[in-house]
Amino acid sequence: MNTTTKSDYLLLFRGNVWDRGLSPAQLQRVVSDWMAWFERLKAEGKCAGGHPLEDEGKVVSGKQRTVADGPFAESKEAIGGYFYLTVADENEAIEIAQQCPGLEYGAVVEVRPVADVCSVRQRAEEYSPAQLAGARA
Amino acid sequence: MLLFRGPHWDRGLSTEELQQAMNKVMAWFEGLAERGKIKGAQPLGGQGRVISGTEGRFVMDGPFTETKEAVGGYLILQANSLNEAVEIARSMPTLRYGISVEVRPILAECPIFQRHPELVQRVKDHVGEQLRVAVAA
Repeated sequence: MNTTTKSDYLLLFRGNVWDRGLSPAQLQRVVSDWMAWFERLKAEGKCAGGHPLEDEGKVVSGKQRTVADGPFAESKEAIGGYFYLTVADENEAIEIAQQCPGLEYGAVVEVRPVADVCSVRQRAEEYSPAQLAGARA
Repeated sequence: MLLFRGPHWDRGLSTEELQQAMNKVMAWFEGLAERGKIKGAQPLGGQGRVISGTEGRFVMDGPFTETKEAVGGYLILQANSLNEAVEIARSMPTLRYGISVEVRPILAECPIFQRHPELVQRVKDHVGEQLRVAVAA
């Protein structure tokens, strides 16, 4: 096994209203912990970047390509931001996710491996590699 | 940031339909890349973990990517406005097969932090003070 191999993971932070009801002291601590956490991961070369996402947005769906205002406000599931991690393995990605300062206030972190190939294409190739050769070219 | 939701849109398509759809997606993606609109894009693996609770004590398998809400990949657009980003999202070829695209502006600062500017300033001052002390020492 090649121990120098690095894997990429995306941390998706879910929940965008977990600050409600926190005392100023709690808020100050979580804000400062979060900033320090992000800076440390970047300095260690484990985080290639990350961004918060605006609460406002749009959702595009359907054959008619309907555009709706996004139902992002006040949701525990809404994605509020992400970190892009480059780490040794999934365990390290999970350990980093467990350090998220928002967890104790109800934030949820989704840890997802970044894939080389889209899962649909992977499934398609399993079904019929020959027929789909054209789609890859 | 475009978040592609519903990664199982290929279910029930014939091989031909799938090949056509994938050709269109590739052409769509390459067209955007040529126009310099793509800052980054990756599919996400179906295997992931969801971390929650104080100190991340709950580590669960997930999310369930069978659902229409699951995020199957992302694309970071270099767009001039939310409208342009929405128009690009509307041109995504697999919308007709049931995926939805969430369009979210990327922010320089977390909305939760923005709700408490005085706290953030205090934290920054504090971090700056620590740095000055460290440099002086």
